[in-house]
Amino acid sequence: MNRTRLLYPLGILLLLGIGPLDALARIKLTTLPVREQVHIHLDHPQITLVEEERIVPLVKGVNQVDFSWANTRIDPDSLVLRILPAPGDQPLDAKVLSVSYPPNENALVWSVSASASGAARVRISYALGGLSKDFHYRAIAGRDEKTLELAQYLRVNNHANEAYDLAQFETGIGAEFEKPLGLNETKEVQLNRFPNIPVRKTYTSDPVQFGYLDRAQDKLNVPMHYVIKNAGGSLGKAALPEGKARIFQNDGKGGSAFLGEDRGKFTPPDDELELYLGLARDIVVRRTIDRSERQRIAGNLYRYDVTVKYEIENFKDTPATLNIVESVRYIRDQLNRHDRDPEWRLGDGTLRNPDPEKSDADKLLFHVDLPARPADGPAPKQTQTLRLTLNNEW
Amino acid sequence: MNLNRLVGLLCLLLLPLALPARNVDLATVPERRTVQLTIYNSEDLTLVRESRVVTFKKGVNPLQFSWANTLIDPTSVELKFREPQTGLEVADTTFPHDKPQTLYWNVVSPTDHETTIEISYFTSGISWAADYLAIADADEKVLRLESFVRVKNLSGEDYENAQVRLVVGTINLVEKIAELAKLPVGRLDELKREEYQELRQRAGRKAMAPPPAPMLSMAAGMVADAAEMDAPKEIIKEGLSEYFIYTIEGTETVPTGWAKRLRSFEADAVPMTVEYRYRPREYGDQLVRLYLLKNDTASKLGSTPLPDGVMQIFQTNVSGGLNYLATQALNYVPIGDKIELNLGTDRLVIFEQVKQKVYRDNLWFQIKGGNLYRKLGEDGVKLELDSQVAGWDEHTIYRQKIRNYRPKPIHVQIRRDYAGDIVFRSRLNPTLHDFQTVQFEADIAAGEKAALDYEVIARMGYNQKQNRVELQSGEAGR
Repeated sequence: MNRTRLLYPLGILLLLGIGPLDALARIKLTTLPVREQVHIHLDHPQITLVEEERIVPLVKGVNQVDFSWANTRIDPDSLVLRILPAPGDQPLDAKVLSVSYPPNENALVWSVSASASGAARVRISYALGGLSKDFHYRAIAGRDEKTLELAQYLRVNNHANEAYDLAQFETGIGAEFEKPLGLNETKEVQLNRFPNIPVRKTYTSDPVQFGYLDRAQDKLNVPMHYVIKNAGGSLGKAALPEGKARIFQNDGKGGSAFLGEDRGKFTPPDDELELYLGLARDIVVRRTIDRSERQRIAGNLYRYDVTVKYEIENFKDTPATLNIVESVRYIRDQLNRHDRDPEWRLGDGTLRNPDPEKSDADKLLFHVDLPARPADGPAPKQTQTLRLTLNNEW
Repeated sequence: MNLNRLVGLLCLLLLPLALPARNVDLATVPERRTVQLTIYNSEDLTLVRESRVVTFKKGVNPLQFSWANTLIDPTSVELKFREPQTGLEVADTTFPHDKPQTLYWNVVSPTDHETTIEISYFTSGISWAADYLAIADADEKVLRLESFVRVKNLSGEDYENAQVRLVVGTINLVEKIAELAKLPVGRLDELKREEYQELRQRAGRKAMAPPPAPMLSMAAGMVADAAEMDAPKEIIKEGLSEYFIYTIEGTETVPTGWAKRLRSFEADAVPMTVEYRYRPREYGDQLVRLYLLKNDTASKLGSTPLPDGVMQIFQTNVSGGLNYLATQALNYVPIGDKIELNLGTDRLVIFEQVKQKVYRDNLWFQIKGGNLYRKLGEDGVKLELDSQVAGWDEHTIYRQKIRNYRPKPIHVQIRRDYAGDIVFRSRLNPTLHDFQTVQFEADIAAGEKAALDYEVIARMGYNQKQNRVELQSGEAGR
C-alpha cells in the first residue's frame, strides 16, 4: 500500500508504508508533490477559498495521501479533494475511498484507489482563515469639481501563515491577476481606474442626520459630499465594494491637494456613492419653526399647520446647490409626539417639489440653487419655507 | 489483532472457584473474533457486539470481563451463547466491590466443549455524523451532491475490523451512557427498573438485532478489505421501523482518537432551481438566495433520508475551479421531501422597500367615554371635545423595489406578516400563506428592475373586528 503526505505548513505526502493507517506505521517513504497552480478566491464577502492543483503520483491499488496544515487556519470541514480527469493517453481512474483524521493533528489522510500506476492531477480546495482582503479608493477631483478620477485598489493581507510562490487571484471584480504572496505579506494591486467620471458636489442640511452647528442660533451643519453615481461610462458594470477612499483635488499646478478621507459604502450599480468632505462653513443655513397652528377637526382630532423657515446665505464666490432634507416625523414629534406615522400634505411654501426619487412617506429632499456671492457686495440672504399640513392628529 | 486498551476484556479463569479472592491467578484471554458497532447519531450511544471463542469444561467456569478506561455502561453488558448451544447457562453475575469496571460470570457447562460466545454492551464515545458536499454547475441548472458519514472514536478502545452500522433516527435515553460508565454498579441499582426497561426498549436492542446472516468473521473482514481496493465501499441503506440503518460494506478499523469519513452516496446532475425568498420569520429581514432540490428518485436521490449534517456548497466556475457559496446545517430530510440550501443574501440583487404614503380615514369617536360611537362626517353629529378617537383605518402605501444585476432572470417570493385586522390591496395576485401572512411572487428579467406597489389598510381600535388579513384586488393608494 502506498501513502502520500502533504508536508506542512501545507503539504501533501505520498506515503509508501505499511499498515492500514499511518498512525500505526513507523517506516515511511514519502514523495512530495509540489503545487502546480494556486487559485485564491476572494469573491465571497467573508470566506477566502484557496484551490491548489498538484500532480500526485499514484500506484495501482490503494494509496494514502496525507494532507497536513500545521499552524494554519484551514477549516477542515471545507476541504475538498477533486481528482481531475486524466488525459486520454493516460487512462488512470482514481477515486477517493475514505478520509481518516488522526488525533490531535491538523491533518487528514485520503485513501485513494488507482486503476493503474501514473500521475493524477488533483485539486484541493479549502477555506483559509487569516487571508483577508479589503478595498480602497483614491479619488482625484478636477479643479472645477465636475469630474473625478477614481482608482480602485485591492489589498490582500496574508496572516494565514502560509506562502504562495505564485497564485491566481480572483476577486469577483475586475480581471484576475497573478502574483506571489509571501508570509505576513500585504499585497496591493489596482483593480480598476475610472477616469473622468462625473461628480456632484453637494451641500446638505439635515437636522436629523447631521444636526446643528449652533443650536441656539438655529444654525444647521452643512456637510459637503462628492456624489458619484455608479452608472454610465465605465461605471455601472459592477458594484463598488465598501472601502476607504482618500480624496484629493487637482491643484492646477500639476499636483493635488488632500481633501480628506471617508469610508465608502457598498454601492450597487445605479446607486450613488457619497464621500464626505467635511463641513461647509461658507454656506449658512438657519432653520426655525416659523409658525405652528392647531385646528380642531372634531372631538380630540386636530390638524396642524406648520411652517419651517430656512434662511440661507452663500458666502462662496461660486454658485452651489443646497439639499434641504427634512423628516416629517421629526417635525411632528416636536408638536405632538406619538407612534403613529404622520399623515401630511405639502402646503404653499416655497419648497413644493421634493425630489421624487429620494423622498418618501417621511423624508423630504429639496434642491435649492444658491447664487454666488457678488464680487462687490454682501452675500444675499435667501429665505425658503416648507409648509406642511399634518392631518388627523390626536 | 491488538489486545486493546480494555485490559484483557475477557478472561477465562482457570481456577474453579467462582470468586478470585486470591492473589495468584492464572487466566487465558480468548481474543475477539468479530465485532459489530451500531452507532446512533442522535445520542452518544453505541451498541457493541463482539464474539469470542471460549472452551468450557464441565461444571462451573468463571469468566471475568473488564473494561478499564473505557466508557461502557456496566448495566448493559450481556452474555449470550452462540454455536453450539449445549446447555450452557449463566449461573450468576457478580460486580466485585474492589475491582471497578469488572464483572464475573459463572457459567455452568454440562460438558467439556468449545463454543462461540457473544458479549454485547453499550458504550459512549463513538459517534457518527453525516456531512454533505454540493457543487452546482456554472449555470446553476444541476448540482452534484455527495453525502458522507464520519465515524469518530473517542471511546478509549480500538475496534479493529469492525462491522459498522449507523442508525439514523432519534431514540430516547433516560441516562447518558457516559455518566453511567462512571457510576459504580451498586449505585446503578438505585435507578428505577422501568427506566432501564424503557432505555433498552427505546434503544432498540431487539429492533437493531443483527441480520439473519452471521456476523462476518475476521477472516471474511480481511477479504472484504482486500476486495475494496478498487472502489469506494458501498453503504447499504435499509429502513427499519422509524429508523434507517446504514451498514458500511466490509469492516472498518477506527483506532481511538481517530475519525474516518466514507462516502455514503453521490448523485450527479441533480436538477435544481434557484429562488429568492423574503421570509422574515425564517430567514430574517433580508432577501436570501436558495438552491431548491428534492430528495426523490426523479432527482437521482431518494434512496435514503438525509440525516442531519453540515453541507458545504460550492459552484463550479468557468475555469473549472470552485467558488465557495455557503455552509449550512442541513436538518433531516425524509425521502421525497424538499432540500433547501440557503446561500444568504446576494449582492447582485438589491431589495428595498419604500414607505410612500400614509393616510387615515373612517375615523370613529367614542362619545363621552360611553358606549356610543359616531363616525366622523356622519350627518347631524356634533363631536365635542370630550369625544375621543376610538377607531380608524390606517392606509400605508409601499413600493417594493427589486433590482436584478444577474445575467439571468430571477424568481422572487415575498412573505409579509401582518398582525391585526388588515386589508392587503394590490395588483400583485397575492395569496395567503396563512391567516396573517401574505405571499406574492415576481419574475425579474436579467438586468431589470421591478417596482411592486401595495397598500396595507390596518383597521385600528374600534374598527378592528377581525384578526386576519383580507386580500383585495385594486390599485395601491386609490
